[in-house]
Amino acid sequence: MLEINNYNSEILHNISFSLKENENLIILGENGAGKSTLAKVLSNLITNNKVQLFHEEIDKINDLKRAQLINYIPPKLSIFDEYVTLKEFLELSTIENVNNEKIDNLIKVLKLEKLKDRYCKAFSSGEKQLLLLASSIMHDAKITIFDELTANLDISRLKEVFDIFNSDLLKQKIIITHNLDLAYALKFKILFLKDGKIEFFGEHDEFFSNENLKKFYNNTILKLDKHLVVNL
Amino acid sequence: MKLFLYISSFIIVCLAPFMGEINLDFNEIFNTSSTTYTIFWDLRVSRVVLAFFVGGILALGGLIFQIIFKNQLITPYTLGIASGTTLFTAISIVFFPAMYMPISSVMGSLVTILILYFISKQINKSSIAVSTNSILLIGIALSYFYSSALMLVFYMSNLQENYSIVRFTLGSLDTVGFTSALIIMAVSVIFYAVIYSNKEKIKLLLICNDTAFLKGLNVHKINLILLIVVSLSVGVCISFVGPIGFIGLVVPHIIKLIYKQSADKLFFPVFFFGGIFLVFSDLISRNLNTDSSLPIGVVTAFIGAPFFVYLLVRRSKVK
Repeated sequence: MLEINNYNSEILHNISFSLKENENLIILGENGAGKSTLAKVLSNLITNNKVQLFHEEIDKINDLKRAQLINYIPPKLSIFDEYVTLKEFLELSTIENVNNEKIDNLIKVLKLEKLKDRYCKAFSSGEKQLLLLASSIMHDAKITIFDELTANLDISRLKEVFDIFNSDLLKQKIIITHNLDLAYALKFKILFLKDGKIEFFGEHDEFFSNENLKKFYNNTILKLDKHLVVNL
Repeated sequence: MKLFLYISSFIIVCLAPFMGEINLDFNEIFNTSSTTYTIFWDLRVSRVVLAFFVGGILALGGLIFQIIFKNQLITPYTLGIASGTTLFTAISIVFFPAMYMPISSVMGSLVTILILYFISKQINKSSIAVSTNSILLIGIALSYFYSSALMLVFYMSNLQENYSIVRFTLGSLDTVGFTSALIIMAVSVIFYAVIYSNKEKIKLLLICNDTAFLKGLNVHKINLILLIVVSLSVGVCISFVGPIGFIGLVVPHIIKLIYKQSADKLFFPVFFFGGIFLVFSDLISRNLNTDSSLPIGVVTAFIGAPFFVYLLVRRSKVK
């Protein structure tokens, strides 16, 4: 249960919408539309009092409880210490007691065994994004916001991430992406941002009608036989 | 490598009290009526103990500052805390000679760090992260301000006060008896205990402030606690031995390169080898063939400054 009422700032204007419990969302929009800013507002990284999490004002929830309710996964792993290993990072990602079995299991599922004792700072961009995904599963918040998680993944990895998004390994998900194939395949609710305003908020089928695609993407995207085609 | 380091530090600590301007006879050490006894215990051993704990505080303080500000080059010195402390001490030497000097020194370090922290928070108000670039720049600006203010104090002081300020800024581990050593020892025990008890929180700070916040940590509160504890302890050290630079920069880096572990596991080695580094520097300063011992600040800076440059060069190559 997530609600934002009439949030305004230099970047975002008049943002109001609400999600029911366990209702997933995909946020789309051009570069600079304010997607990441919106995510930071929702997770209180940008302090505000317009967001309601499970009927409580986000500003007033205590830190630990807020951490259990909402988590934000940034587009890039930012890590200060050079010598934190993957396993240590996953231990730190857990907010309650560390469960080693779960960590080992997760490493197996994501095929990260080779990286287990290596330093996170030396990972490739794709590996870092898988690590962030693993960390979100360890954190296991009620709502997880992913900011461009799939940007640097190869196709087979993308399929794995899709399967995880599509499973119930994570509870409620909000996914920011530029990957329309992913957005189309996931069948979540859609929110489209343009210049800091909500241009569209509604069901998946409605957004991916040819009429709306034309409106939001200027004829660059077409739907042919249930597949999206980029028309360059 | 680690074993070698521990063995050589043990040797350094054992040798340190025996080497100095006056050669000591080993048999006389426990003879309470001899001069050797006085020199050995009251001058040399107390000096080694003092050097060890000051070095430990400065090194671990450097490491904690680097974690808080997420920048490898930040220490209490590069942020202007040393110059703040020096200025406040100079002011107390010239204008308030009756006041107990350490109080004003500690005030100096505390005032400086609070100015830094609140200005940098003001700069990026809505965000959790402290911008390290802006804090480094403010630190540099403050240092300049402090050094010109120090010039002013110099200008207004008489010859003798002038001399005591210069002696203070050079740094000196000269001590008689165990009073200073015991005070610093008590301070370092508290200092280490506070840092160790916050280990789990510091671990989260190693990732980044945003992540720590999302894991439910009150980032501002823990930053403020650590900043105050480090500045107070460093301030007390400076008030006893004067500003001794570069330990907080050099030691954490060397230890990281040797241990290759995340910083939360390095509290003890950093503290320990910081202490050894200062004992060793002091050993050099006392045993070079000069009329009197070299100021300790000179020795640590002579070892530290080239290393600082080496680190900068190496860092730019890695990137």
